[in-house]
Amino acid sequence: MEIQELNALSPLRAFDESLNGGLGKGNLGVLVSRHGIGKTACLVHLATDKLFRNEHIIHVSFSGNVEHVINWYKEVFRQISENRSLEDAAVIYNEILANRVVMNFSQENVSVEKVLSSLETLIRQGSFNADAIMFDGYKLTVATEDDVRKIKQFAMDLRVEVWFSVSPVRPDVQFDDNGVPNTILKYENLIDVLIGLKYNETMDKVIMTLVKDGETIDPKPMRVTLDPKTMLISE
Amino acid sequence: MSEITKMRNIGISAHIDSGKTTLSERILYYSNRIHAIHEVRGKDGVGATMDSMELERERGITIASAATNVSWKDHPINVIDTPGHVDFTIEVERSLRVLDGAILVLCSVAGVQSQSITVDRQMKRYRVPRIAFINKCDRTGANPIRVKQQLIDKLGLNAVLLQIPIGLEDRLQGVVDLITMKAIYFDGPSGDILRYEEIPAELQGDAATKREEMLDAVSLCSDELMEAMLEDAVTEDLIYKAIRKGTIALELVPVLMGSAYKNKGIQPLLDSVIAYLPNPTEVTNTALDIDNEEQAVVLKADENLPAVILGFKLEDGQYGQLTYIRIYQGKLKKGDELINTRSRKKFKVGRLVRMHASSMEDIVEAGCGDIAALFGVECASGDTFCHPSLNYSMTSMYVPKPVISLSINPIDKKSADNMAKALNRFTKEDPTFNTYVDPESNQTIIQGMGELHLEVYVERMRREYKAEVVTDRPEVAYREAISQRAEFNYTHKKQTGGSGQYARVAGYIEPIEEGEDAKEYEFVDMIKGGVIPSEYIPSCDKGFQNAVKKGTQLGFPVVGIRAVVNDGAYHAVDSSDQAFQTAALSAFREVYDRAKPVILEPVMKVSVEGPTEFQGNIFGSINQRRGIIISSTEDGAACTVDAEVPLSEMFGYSTVLRSLTQGKAEFTMELAKYSRVPTSVSEELKAAYQEKRRKEQGK
Repeated sequence: MEIQELNALSPLRAFDESLNGGLGKGNLGVLVSRHGIGKTACLVHLATDKLFRNEHIIHVSFSGNVEHVINWYKEVFRQISENRSLEDAAVIYNEILANRVVMNFSQENVSVEKVLSSLETLIRQGSFNADAIMFDGYKLTVATEDDVRKIKQFAMDLRVEVWFSVSPVRPDVQFDDNGVPNTILKYENLIDVLIGLKYNETMDKVIMTLVKDGETIDPKPMRVTLDPKTMLISE
Repeated sequence: MSEITKMRNIGISAHIDSGKTTLSERILYYSNRIHAIHEVRGKDGVGATMDSMELERERGITIASAATNVSWKDHPINVIDTPGHVDFTIEVERSLRVLDGAILVLCSVAGVQSQSITVDRQMKRYRVPRIAFINKCDRTGANPIRVKQQLIDKLGLNAVLLQIPIGLEDRLQGVVDLITMKAIYFDGPSGDILRYEEIPAELQGDAATKREEMLDAVSLCSDELMEAMLEDAVTEDLIYKAIRKGTIALELVPVLMGSAYKNKGIQPLLDSVIAYLPNPTEVTNTALDIDNEEQAVVLKADENLPAVILGFKLEDGQYGQLTYIRIYQGKLKKGDELINTRSRKKFKVGRLVRMHASSMEDIVEAGCGDIAALFGVECASGDTFCHPSLNYSMTSMYVPKPVISLSINPIDKKSADNMAKALNRFTKEDPTFNTYVDPESNQTIIQGMGELHLEVYVERMRREYKAEVVTDRPEVAYREAISQRAEFNYTHKKQTGGSGQYARVAGYIEPIEEGEDAKEYEFVDMIKGGVIPSEYIPSCDKGFQNAVKKGTQLGFPVVGIRAVVNDGAYHAVDSSDQAFQTAALSAFREVYDRAKPVILEPVMKVSVEGPTEFQGNIFGSINQRRGIIISSTEDGAACTVDAEVPLSEMFGYSTVLRSLTQGKAEFTMELAKYSRVPTSVSEELKAAYQEKRRKEQGK
């Protein structure tokens, strides 16, 4: 299969459709769930789909282990390319690598200002024209409202799409039926798209619920789910 | 086992001018009392600094020998030389892996300098526990407390003062030991006599505060000490244990101070080496099992196990060729049989020696963890010697191919002789360094892993071998490859009186699919019915092999190519080995262009480390060099940027990086892969090659 066809058939088209054409630049999207549901996989799949479509991605991680992140991408790429028998997979992989930078902050409690200034440095001085920024494991639930507002401003100023994968930090967090923790609600007005992930035992799938889309707060399940075995988004 | 736990293998590393030579000499003096103290600076006070090599020659001591054995309070200490040039990996890796601990020497005036940062970073990378010694406290402007703070701020070390100075600059008298809470003075003309006194009244307050700080920091490494503090039952022994534990776990760095020149503070430093730095059993060392896909195996410092030994340094001394070894597992006796796991050669251990400051001692046996030297062993630096039952290697057997070459010309006959000696030595020491004489230009070419790598060797030729050479511009080792299958059918015919030549070969060439163990060249014989007699098949193979040595685009080797012969013809009289070789070679030249050849260039994995404030400059510099940023990691004030950059764009990068970052960043690089050169660049390269050939033919 050629890359164009692969993109057209991607389950991510259905994902975008649920969001009326995607998140869009200048907006903040959030994936939330309990630990271990597959947010990172989901985030990497979103990023890989963008890379397939020639977009530039910065993946921000706070884990201290860059290798780990790079392996996620490798694995997601391998699965997609094998499922679809992608032609020239090795060549395409090398090409898309050039469009992805992993930015890692190993220091604990690094400030939002520091993260944003490093991102801006990479985009401006490194001439890296990022289309989207994926924040993997950012502690959004303990960030202040001011922090989130700064990220929103950054997304608008630099015309980038921003995705977060968020796990609650505190152990006493309450989750609603869609897998959304109550601690995220204080920023609801700053978030453009909020998606909750929750494992459904009878279906053996992770259900993705679009909790908030723009101004609409009317939770409804998306057409796509996350396969807990492959950790990929599927229709 | 009692012996091995007493042993210490340490390195002394320092910024130039922070007094490493003087300190080393004092350590030799106090530990062996073998000679009077000599000063590095001339007596006339003008201060012409002698380098340590000259110093050695004059004194007949071996400070700069790869390892010197001394003894302090019944503890054998091997002082291992750390290379002054820390810029390329193999040498650094070797010397750092032999150390179990190190003394980081700092100048009390200049503090943490750029080279200290580099050295410390390498020690972090190899997880070497260390003690800091703040030297030159007798100098004007000395401020050890500030230097300790720099260790925290600039190096991110958990530096903990174990002493405070008594007086500073020209009034330096001694130090206060914060553990025993005693003042120590160094009496006698050479500071040999230690006098313990009460802490001077004016320092008592400060000493008490600093002791509290020290205890707070140290107790974080030990629950036992923490509890003792709560119960007010702190003992000196508990403190020593806690510091030792923290130092070995790399959680803290004890800070001592003094002045080597004024003979102050050296004995407590030696005590600390024994007290806090690990013995060989406290360090985990691993080897790679060659029989098991180079899986890592943990070595045990147990002398009853089969021996595993690393030859870390070769030295051509006054005594002949010495191979310095470290025994990681098992022990070594004269007459033992060992196998060199690289060359697969077995040998018997002949003369075994230990190097002291002024003499060499023949020994019969060397124990586990020890450092010794072997005479007359045929080997290269970095070779592993094992008991014949094992097939381990201390370093990966994978030797990357050189990516850069440089032509060098000696300026006169004497330099030419010396250069030959130097090259012979370097190629033995470093498997990534190659040399050969180019048959076309008749010039000596050296090859290695990077510009800096070769620069260091050229510099060493000058300095150590007095070989003056003129160098050309470095050249990248490109490769050529084909991108599609193409068929050939070539007849070689020659009739020039006497016996003629006749051979016809037909078949195709095609690229070998990329993969992890893809071959560089493959020959496939698909001849049926003996149209080419079997005795000439190897001739065809040989012809192709000769052809791929030099592609026609840039004159570099053609790689990843399969040559298949499936048809041909011969003549009963005129066919010969030579005729088929020529036919294959000509067939290749004829078909090559139709197989759409491309140029491949080495792409390096570049890792730049420096302060975060220069991150933008680092990003920019990579971007300008056709580089791809793979990742960037920030940890407090330091950042690491990993990227892939074509080697041809990396020339002069060290200079550029230095000026972009005020000398505060450094980079390492290694070969990542060979990639296709973009069309615009390959056109330029080809034009330059054609131009060069035209010039050569015009000559």
